[in-house]
Amino acid sequence: MRKCVRCGKKAQIYLYSHRLSLCSEHYLEWFENRVERTIKEFNMFTKEEKILVAVSGGKDSLSLWHTLIKLGYQADGFYINLGIGDYSQKSLQKAKNFADKYQLTLHTLDLSKEIASIPDLKAYDSRPTCSLCGSVKRYYMNKYAKEKGYAVLATGHNLDDESAVLFANALSWNVEYLRRQYPVLPEDDGFVRKVKPLCKISEKESALYAVLAGIDYIEEECPFSEGATSIEYKLYLSQLEDKSPGTKLRFYSEFLRKLYPLLKESPRENLQKCEVCGEPSINSLCNVCRLKLKLSSHKEKI
Amino acid sequence: MEIKVIYRGQERTLHLEGEKVKAKDILKALNLSKDYAFVVKNDQVVSEEETINPGDHIRVVNAISGGTL
Repeated sequence: MRKCVRCGKKAQIYLYSHRLSLCSEHYLEWFENRVERTIKEFNMFTKEEKILVAVSGGKDSLSLWHTLIKLGYQADGFYINLGIGDYSQKSLQKAKNFADKYQLTLHTLDLSKEIASIPDLKAYDSRPTCSLCGSVKRYYMNKYAKEKGYAVLATGHNLDDESAVLFANALSWNVEYLRRQYPVLPEDDGFVRKVKPLCKISEKESALYAVLAGIDYIEEECPFSEGATSIEYKLYLSQLEDKSPGTKLRFYSEFLRKLYPLLKESPRENLQKCEVCGEPSINSLCNVCRLKLKLSSHKEKI
Repeated sequence: MEIKVIYRGQERTLHLEGEKVKAKDILKALNLSKDYAFVVKNDQVVSEEETINPGDHIRVVNAISGGTL
């Protein structure tokens, strides 16, 4: 029987990549300390700054929000209702229940009122649904954070998300995407500061925290994520991790340590202000305004 | 041995061979890896070596999720 390295009680959890046995109480403490160390390592934010946490109702965002509050940060939540039927209704309820339980502020935005739901937008965009959804969410998260005066936008991206994206970007050597794959993107050119405090926490560690902290999160997957390449890449990396624990952490951490310093010196894409909404954009018209244009021309035809 | 499990909010019945079933056998039956999944027995997170009995309340958590945030 494995024993907790902190108290000697029966260990419920063994973290293969850290070779660490912990009981539930000391696991929660370990998790919160690791998040705190990551925040400090990358100078993400201070206790004086107002943080907006992007909340989906899932394990990562709710674990992140819970941890930030426990660590004494000023963190409010922001939920975007994507209009994906029953899934969105259930996830909104989970986010609301969490905010009510801990008496926290949760801002919500209904995508159907701003532009259209994700299922409706899908008809006007050829990209995979997850790419379209990600781009629309990033636009509204940034816009909302700026309008409401938040200095920082925190997302629940975990180590598995980051290593899967790194793997995908390395497969195509997408230098621009690799250059932006850092856990802190400073405020610049119309963007608020974006941070990923769970970047060194694995997906399983995040789910363990949620279960042990009694967080009620949505376990079912978004119906559009079925067959997403990000899941395929996670499964490939998981096979490596099974054979050699610590592979994902090494892959991501060594990228940050060895390659990122070279990439950050590479020339950046020039951003301009969208002609319609004024938000930062690569083209004269941002993705969201382009979608709005497509929607309105379709309505005119009808 | 027949074990009832809750997986992603749905109840499933697993038919496992042998008289002694461990948490890792449940993960294997669901084709899940210990790298991203774990077993909760009677509201307690347990290790892969934990013995499971037919009357135990079993929830299996698969942490993997996709899409983009």
